[in-house]
Amino acid sequence: MKIITSLLAGASLALVASMSSAASTGNTLATVDPEADRLALQAFFQKRFPQVELDDYANGIYALDAASRAQWEEMEEFPPYEFDIEAGEEMFNTPFANGKSYADCFENGGMGIRQNFPYWSDEQDRVVTLELAINQCREANGEKKLKAKKGAIAQISAYMASTSAGNIIDVKIPNDKAKAAYLDGKAQFYSRRGQLNMSCANCHVQGVNIPIRADRTSATLGHVTHFPVFRSKWGELGTLHRRFGGCQNNVRGTPLKAQGKEYSNLEFFMTYMSNGLEVNGPGSRK
Amino acid sequence: MKKYLPLVAALVLSSGSVAAASFEDAFNAERALHGKGHTFTFEGKEYTTDHPEELEAAAEATEANAKALIASAKAKHKEVKAVGYDWTLTKGILKSANKALKAGKFQEAMNLAAQAKYHARMGIRQAQRSAEDWVIMVPGS
Repeated sequence: MKIITSLLAGASLALVASMSSAASTGNTLATVDPEADRLALQAFFQKRFPQVELDDYANGIYALDAASRAQWEEMEEFPPYEFDIEAGEEMFNTPFANGKSYADCFENGGMGIRQNFPYWSDEQDRVVTLELAINQCREANGEKKLKAKKGAIAQISAYMASTSAGNIIDVKIPNDKAKAAYLDGKAQFYSRRGQLNMSCANCHVQGVNIPIRADRTSATLGHVTHFPVFRSKWGELGTLHRRFGGCQNNVRGTPLKAQGKEYSNLEFFMTYMSNGLEVNGPGSRK
Repeated sequence: MKKYLPLVAALVLSSGSVAAASFEDAFNAERALHGKGHTFTFEGKEYTTDHPEELEAAAEATEANAKALIASAKAKHKEVKAVGYDWTLTKGILKSANKALKAGKFQEAMNLAAQAKYHARMGIRQAQRSAEDWVIMVPGS
């Protein structure tokens, strides 16, 4: 009887322990701890891929797969996004009809600030991404919004990212409202979607570096550092929210709205996870 | 005897957890094993492995029934879109259902509408499950 009692006690303890462990990952506003999440995710990847330096995660799958890295390094000798940066620079410096320019909308004239995006805005009661801020700048100066996923907005964003190369990502969570947005982004990242019933984490946490047909999936750590990205599959530059939509479509889920609150919160969570890594956008990927 | 007690206790505990499986789990297991049209027993009652939408599609293939099933599938589709868990194929299946209806192929229209409605219902269920258990996907949880 003693043995059964101690077994039951042990089972209860195990249950309590597993519950407190689940709670320690933070799934409520009261328990969520972004910094603990970031360190736990880093530790997870460092344990899984001990040979990979933390900073190298900014290079996506090329940090993990030597063969892909060799191809990518060759491609980067003549970066496919070079003309996009030039086009973005030209648009950035062209005054609006009212004589003002993008530089008037951003801190430090928009130079070297990529690492601070996205940020929480109490005024707007939402997460503000760089692409959203670019469009808000246009609207505030009487210009039409740009389409959110590719083209001019990606080029301007690419130019701004290029001026921030090497800066350390430093996204802040200043209050409970910001924390709620972060928690929503975290929940989205780990929630299964689409007919294939897969979450972002299935591929980019548990499934990292596992071949899917001819490709391998990258770690979520460092995902955001190189956006906007020139994807060979697209043959052009695209924003992070375009990529989110593509991933969701791949699991047969209808993509959500680019620059909507859901994807912006997801970007907020993912960028916080990459705090401490260097901005290296724009980048190129397969 | 004492040395077998932990084993016995473990078996009792594990069999208890199987017995406590939900109807949803039991239905899904039976459906996966036998497909539709199979009868099974859960907690003393008999059920079939048919989805509710398949039962709706088994009604008489008339224009009115096809229209009604398409309308209810569209309503369910609207519901799943509102929670952001819409699946990509559903819209196209509904389109095909409408096309079949216009061509007078009522049974085909009903089958397609039932499929679309099932997708939408599963999307809503997926949203509920995600809200309940996304945390188990977090490493270390």
